[in-house]
Amino acid sequence: MGREVSESCIDSLLTVMVSTYCNRFYANKPELAARRIEAIGYQVGHQLSERYTMERPRFSDHLEAIKFICKDFWFELFKKQIDNLKTNHRGTFVLQDNRFCWLTRMSIDQSPENGTSEELSIMADNKAMQSMHLYFPCGIIRGALSNLGIPCAVSADISNLPACSFVIRIKA
Amino acid sequence: MTSTACFIIVSRNDIPIYEAEVGSAAKREDAAQLHQFVLHAALDIVQDLAWTTSAMFLKAIDRFNDLVVSVYVTAGHTRFMLLHDSRNEDGIKSFFQEVHELYIKILLNPLYLPGSRITSSHFDTKVRALARKYL
Repeated sequence: MGREVSESCIDSLLTVMVSTYCNRFYANKPELAARRIEAIGYQVGHQLSERYTMERPRFSDHLEAIKFICKDFWFELFKKQIDNLKTNHRGTFVLQDNRFCWLTRMSIDQSPENGTSEELSIMADNKAMQSMHLYFPCGIIRGALSNLGIPCAVSADISNLPACSFVIRIKA
Repeated sequence: MTSTACFIIVSRNDIPIYEAEVGSAAKREDAAQLHQFVLHAALDIVQDLAWTTSAMFLKAIDRFNDLVVSVYVTAGHTRFMLLHDSRNEDGIKSFFQEVHELYIKILLNPLYLPGSRITSSHFDTKVRALARKYL
């Protein structure tokens, strides 16, 4: 069960998946495209969590499961761990990855000082496309946690690329 | 050496997704129903015990006449339960681990809906072969 895939293949596959769902399958319906991409991520996360928890003992509480996501799970997926984990101890966790692997190939727009309205709308479109790419990893995290018995909602925040924060809200 | 053994896999929503009589003794109609009944009755015990330990293999958790129920719980709270009369704990643990790997392979199938019945005859053949080997 230990075969390998090249990382550039995965990068290309994800880029093509997002662009196909956004431009061909659900053109002009970004919410539906987002939900489909997130559902794909959910199934992948579900399967991966079962696979990566096989060798290790089970989890005793939510924090253990989140730490597993931050360390072992993220390491298996991206060859690095989450850089920063914050929690408010009331069911919200923020996972910060300072160099999120799948976003490293995206351009970072410098905001112009006196932007024309055209440039600003182009930037808004870019932001929308970038956020589309985040639904898949959000789905992966949600699927993994749901399989471990923690129903949650996951959202992502890319205010400063290439760092990316995932906010996990556990449903009480 | 004839042995009776009944193996079921119960999903996290308490729905049995796979059942098999894997013993080498002759199969009797009433015995099969009794075995399933005993295994389902043991689910409550598993539920309590699963939260007390972080190990996956909970050994013998219940007994009925001379039959013993052993359980293996995965991280996704899927329970593999075996009703058997032998005392070979190491063999049973190896059996559970191999079935776990087979189960993960079933789960990796994108067309398999998690929590639905496992209908693959390939899986069935392999589980029976493992049972003959380890039990």
